[in-house]
Amino acid sequence: MAAPLKAEYPSESEDFDLSAKIVKFVPLKNEEQGAAQEQELASFEALMLPHLDAAQNLAKWLLRNEQDAQDVVQEAYLRALKSFGGFHGSNGRAWLLTIVRNTSYTLMKKNRAVDLTTTFDEERHATDYESVNPAALLEQTEDAELVREAMDHLPAEFREILVLRHLEGLSYKEIADIAQIPPGTVMSRLARARGKLKECLAARIGKEK
Amino acid sequence: MNCEEATRLMDGYLDGELDPITSQTIEQHLRECDKCDQAYKAHALLIRSISDKTPYYKAPAGLRERIQSSLLEEIAERSPRSVSREISSLFRSKQSERRAIPFGTQWNWLALAAAIVLAAIIAFNLVPRLQRPGADQLLATQLIASHVRSLMANHLTDVASSDQHTVKPWLDTKLDFAPVVADLSSDGFPLVGGRLDYLDNRPVAALVYQRRKHFINLFVWPAESGSTGADKRITRQGYQLLHWVDSDFNYWAVSDVSDNDLQVFKQVFEKQVPHR
Repeated sequence: MAAPLKAEYPSESEDFDLSAKIVKFVPLKNEEQGAAQEQELASFEALMLPHLDAAQNLAKWLLRNEQDAQDVVQEAYLRALKSFGGFHGSNGRAWLLTIVRNTSYTLMKKNRAVDLTTTFDEERHATDYESVNPAALLEQTEDAELVREAMDHLPAEFREILVLRHLEGLSYKEIADIAQIPPGTVMSRLARARGKLKECLAARIGKEK
Repeated sequence: MNCEEATRLMDGYLDGELDPITSQTIEQHLRECDKCDQAYKAHALLIRSISDKTPYYKAPAGLRERIQSSLLEEIAERSPRSVSREISSLFRSKQSERRAIPFGTQWNWLALAAAIVLAAIIAFNLVPRLQRPGADQLLATQLIASHVRSLMANHLTDVASSDQHTVKPWLDTKLDFAPVVADLSSDGFPLVGGRLDYLDNRPVAALVYQRRKHFINLFVWPAESGSTGADKRITRQGYQLLHWVDSDFNYWAVSDVSDNDLQVFKQVFEKQVPHR
């Protein structure tokens, strides 16, 4: 391709002086820079694409919709590339998941998803089933659908923390960074999330009986 | 440690996130308190079950490719903007400095600068097109992006028709050239339609053909007079690109079909096109 040149006319009539007669020619594509960018893209892909499944998993659990999740993941990768210059750490997965999480919340807010805050119906899931230990039953079941349904009933902040801990095996510190909460809050939120999931599971298992 | 405290710290203990001293205190309490020990065992089982039974959603096939091509597009779009921004800010700072310089010197300096810029332009334009390395690669990037975009956004065709006598007149009215449109369905490449596209700094015709479940975008634009050249084959990100030139047109076929299929496509296409 010929080196495309673009003319720019620097000054407007207002402060007209001789420099207005100069037309600047700006090379549109410079081979050296192109090579640098290709290199940047290559290192970005090498660091970030291995976490594609983790990105999809978090987005899908947050949005509960396959198409939205894919859109968010794609958007998150674009955002990540744009701010890749600011990534100096070694934890590419946590960094990418933070962006995936924020992008997901942006979409959820736009869609006015109602479950952004913890509005959990405490009474309905009350203590009727406390005697049931769903874990014991859960261990027997091969029913992934059961867990999926129970999880999907939880508020986003609970789904998020359960996914990060149980499916990604992240540390409390990493979870605090991704979910943007104080490290001291992770344990108590995780405890509440597990408690709620247990209640949901118990309610479901109780109903099926 | 009392039971309330032990319950509060249970999750951190099970996740191995407590400091060793607190962990030991909890262990101590569990040995002494039967109720808490029961609760601990039940909770450990719950935690293990959640990890085991919660489905993990893997990225579906094709998402990686879509992301890669949108990243590539982002990089390709980025360069002209950022370069011109950098350079124009460079110029701007010089301009403001210059205001302090007496008029006569400024004129000479500008004349010199203009001469250098002009020389640079001439030099740039004298470099022959295709000898520049990377020109094909850059075009290939554009071609793949265009192909992928056409499949992504419900915008495969502007004129959807398997009839070459519908597609060709439509394209002729939109372009300053008249591409050859041939229906190749008898050879297993039915024509799906046509589309306008913009590549290599010019509007081009995109003819869309189908091969089984796959689409082939054939980009066509006029060849420079007297240009000949061997066919080019490029494989990138799982896409096949095949380039050939006849006396009138440049052709670039882009698809995810096999290289062999694309060669066959070219042969049957050329068979249909009257040789000039």
